[in-house]
Amino acid sequence: MIDDRQEELAALHALDLLEGAERDQFVAELERNAELRGRVGDLRQAAAALAHLAPAAEPPAALKARILASASGSASRGRAPEAARTARPKARPVPVSSWIPWLAAACLGVAAIWSGRLYLEARSESASLREQQRLAQRALEQTRGQLADATRLLSASGREIAELGAKLKAEGDLAHFKISMLASMLGNSPAALAVAVWDPTREQGVLAVSRLPALAAAMDYQLWVIDPQYPSPVNSGVFAVDPVTGEAHVVFRADKPIKSAAKFAVSLERKGGVPSPEGPIVLLSR
Amino acid sequence: MSLTLAILPGPSIGPEPDARWRGLKGLFLMTPAGDLDSGNACARENAELLRRMAGGDRDALAELYDRLSRPLYATARHILNDASEAQDVVHDVFLALWENAGSFDAGRGAAFSWAVTLTRNRSIDRLRTRTNRARLLASSSPDDLGYGSNPGDIGTGDRAELVERADAVRSAVDALPAEQKRALELAFFSGLTQKEIAEKLNEPIGTIKARIRRGLIKLRDKLTHRL
Repeated sequence: MIDDRQEELAALHALDLLEGAERDQFVAELERNAELRGRVGDLRQAAAALAHLAPAAEPPAALKARILASASGSASRGRAPEAARTARPKARPVPVSSWIPWLAAACLGVAAIWSGRLYLEARSESASLREQQRLAQRALEQTRGQLADATRLLSASGREIAELGAKLKAEGDLAHFKISMLASMLGNSPAALAVAVWDPTREQGVLAVSRLPALAAAMDYQLWVIDPQYPSPVNSGVFAVDPVTGEAHVVFRADKPIKSAAKFAVSLERKGGVPSPEGPIVLLSR
Repeated sequence: MSLTLAILPGPSIGPEPDARWRGLKGLFLMTPAGDLDSGNACARENAELLRRMAGGDRDALAELYDRLSRPLYATARHILNDASEAQDVVHDVFLALWENAGSFDAGRGAAFSWAVTLTRNRSIDRLRTRTNRARLLASSSPDDLGYGSNPGDIGTGDRAELVERADAVRSAVDALPAEQKRALELAFFSGLTQKEIAEKLNEPIGTIKARIRRGLIKLRDKLTHRL
């Protein structure tokens, strides 16, 4: 007689839903209860019918060939026991020594399985390491490429920085230059223009003038640098202007060392110049 | 009491009982007489194929494949939702049947039941290996188990027989109360434990056990009655 509890356990067992101790206890109960075993078989087959609820699906044609090919390499175990049953003599005590070869074979079998497992684990680990190495190599190559790009960029930047530095230096040098506009001091040449640029480092200057009247052959324009350290202007040479345009472009140096070119002046002197200004001042720094 | 399969002819089958029986033969209806003595031709044929396989007959394996592969493949695919894994499972199951055919005892159950059990267990093992429990709980749903889905076009001949067989089971399951049907579907296809089914359906575990028990017994009774 099967009670409700047994029937419930049988249904759950038929669907393989029993676990742990509950399953173990029920399996033990099954061994003792043939009627219960029958009920489980009954319900298991009803449960198997649920397979028909799955949406229909056609297995690929190649699957059958694959199974048959696998079966060719794997003998059905049903034949061996059958043959063994017909040929086997009545059981009798077996001497212990006869077990030794079997024991050795079993040990070898276990060792082979263990070695195989170790081999598979090692192979898996090796594959993993190879993959890691491949990824690391790729990362290294990428890093090298980035480094080369960065180097090229840095080199280009270096050139730009050098050029910029040179430019800044030039601008800095320019800042050191003394630039003066000179104004006409004579009524007969009010349109005259002049610019004097003085490089204190090199103690050299440039004077550019225009619209200065041309002079008689016995006369010269003479340039002077006024440095407070000296009591009188320092001679910086004579020059003549183009008789048509009244222009002149003169690179000049002072006769004495100049610490501070405070002003520039141009005077009208006799031909060849004089040590100290004698004639009238034509142009003077503003 | 040992129960085995039987096809029981009777007036309740309808005006064309033979056609319907052809589609339903092979279902698992138990009689105390044992499977081989039950008159279930399909089950007897399957058992005979296994006997031949035990003798190394590969043609018998091919024939058994033709008879069982579709529902087994459909079951594995439905559980795993992966055609490639389903093929592997079916391959392994038929190889297991081939290698262990000699241990088959028709008195303890039908070949189809054995094959389905192997297929389901291997599929669920793969599913549990592949999917962690939380994901399993989150992804499985009674509504997406495909019970209501279109069985698809599976052709004629043997396949039509399969469709009839599936229709018979569907009708029997449809007749169950909805809560029992859902519990059985989850129990068979989802790979969830009793506790997880209870959590999924938000019911006490005792209720779930009772539903599975009542549903399975009714299913057996309904299939028996129809046949």
